[in-house]
Amino acid sequence: MSIRGKTAVAGIGETPTDRLGGKPGEPRKSTAEYLAWAARLAMEDAGLTKKDFDGQGLAAIYTTNHSQPFWPEEVAAILGITPGVSLAGGNGGASSVSLLGHAAAAITAGLCDLVLVIAAAAPFSERGGHRGTPADTRDYEMPFGVMGPNCKISFVMSRYMHESGMTEDHFGKIAVTGRYHASLNPNAYLRKPITIEDYKKSRLISDPIRLFDCVMPANGGKAYIMASAERAKSLRKPPVYLLGWGECNNASYGPRYRANPLITGITQAGKRAFDMSGVTHKDIHCLNLYDDYIPVVMIQIEDLGFCGRNDKAFFEKTDFTFKGDLPIQTSGGMINCGQPSTTGGMLHVIETVRQIRGEGGDRQVPNIKFGISTGVGAVNYGKNFGCTAAAIFGSEA
Amino acid sequence: MAEKNEITKKPLPEITPVNQPFWDGAKGGKLMMQKCQNCGTWVFCPRPVCGDCASDKLEWVQVSGKGKIFSFTVIREVVGQALRGFAPDIPYVTAWVDLDDGPRFCSNIVGCPIDKVHIDMPVEVVFEDTGDGITLPKFKPS
Repeated sequence: MSIRGKTAVAGIGETPTDRLGGKPGEPRKSTAEYLAWAARLAMEDAGLTKKDFDGQGLAAIYTTNHSQPFWPEEVAAILGITPGVSLAGGNGGASSVSLLGHAAAAITAGLCDLVLVIAAAAPFSERGGHRGTPADTRDYEMPFGVMGPNCKISFVMSRYMHESGMTEDHFGKIAVTGRYHASLNPNAYLRKPITIEDYKKSRLISDPIRLFDCVMPANGGKAYIMASAERAKSLRKPPVYLLGWGECNNASYGPRYRANPLITGITQAGKRAFDMSGVTHKDIHCLNLYDDYIPVVMIQIEDLGFCGRNDKAFFEKTDFTFKGDLPIQTSGGMINCGQPSTTGGMLHVIETVRQIRGEGGDRQVPNIKFGISTGVGAVNYGKNFGCTAAAIFGSEA
Repeated sequence: MAEKNEITKKPLPEITPVNQPFWDGAKGGKLMMQKCQNCGTWVFCPRPVCGDCASDKLEWVQVSGKGKIFSFTVIREVVGQALRGFAPDIPYVTAWVDLDDGPRFCSNIVGCPIDKVHIDMPVEVVFEDTGDGITLPKFKPS
């Protein structure tokens, strides 16, 4: 039994992102408020109310700054929902793409016909909370002053430049494209267009990673609603069908003790999504790829098979803007829209849904039928992402 | 004041039954790594079972401590409260060192000007006593 075309995204909700609360006197909003706000927006979008979710599915994503072991239940309590199926996202930034498949499986198996997938975080306005650390990081990275993902992805980027010959011009082009799309997206946070020169002048954080390579932490909440294809047809907005989905966790290319960090699990997750969907690469008109860092976007384009490995020429000649050969990051990505912890990745699901619905406004990809969204999470020791997931959407089942 | 010192302390590993031979080895000037006696692969970070064949026949062996820089970065900013103790060291180099006879190991490159560090640079282990009961294996040009 395949989940292909059996479910659709029927509602999306996205609060504005902000960075308020870090300084005295600034207004503060709690994670709970962003959760309630995002849920309301998604339900309004779908034409549903809170009551419609009693006995249905609720999927809450654990965040890095405000999670406790019973988080999904706390989210149900915050929203006042009595779910019949409780799911959780524990795959970090990959969670919102992973949960598309988990929710679709629950719906296709007949456990429920709606799932509200939700996340929020307020790292600037909320202090405290527990932040656990994976044992490998605690014991073998932090004692050596490894500054989290900035440092670990710098290892990847440095090696990528060494092997591919890519330069600041290649990374800068992707950064400029993302910001251009953000300038056309009223929900984006950083909207002032930049040039490649601006990219090159942005400060080094962890060589070769610069400020404009990095995602921007923010407060905010996001949600989407999955429905059975049948139910989705009766709701307010046109269904955006989940046609293909794949996940891959703890991948290693080469020996586990010395893996190739320039290939991610998106290679397998993406292949599974393509195989399930039956959609070909040339049918995909929009890529919304997890963008914690610029080089991660580029490596995923290679992983998904849109070009070869270390394909410098491809990155030089391709127009990645919304009207171009291969539109990517049409929302501006998390780099420009902000990353409220693990909530951030849901941007890429929401944006593909918007594009396929034709709600892309000034950045609408023309004649789009199919789009792909990815998520990655947890940077493992000595390689890259522990969690990866990919999903292909279309306007028809 | 005591509290301030606590905040600026560098984080130390947690010694567990699984990783203890590594840290005992470092204290004695030896770089110890796990090797699977069943399939022969290296296992790092320390694990109770082999990640490839699931055997629990893992043996601790001493490696030469020689290797090459696979990749590196220059840390220029502190991120997060837990790592504030590194602020006085900035800028400094962290690297993935691929050991000649062992796995990839993440550490610092010391005893070398930052602008001389490069990918494929041959390096060898040096042991740095933190003064807190832990010795950290670091690497210098060889």
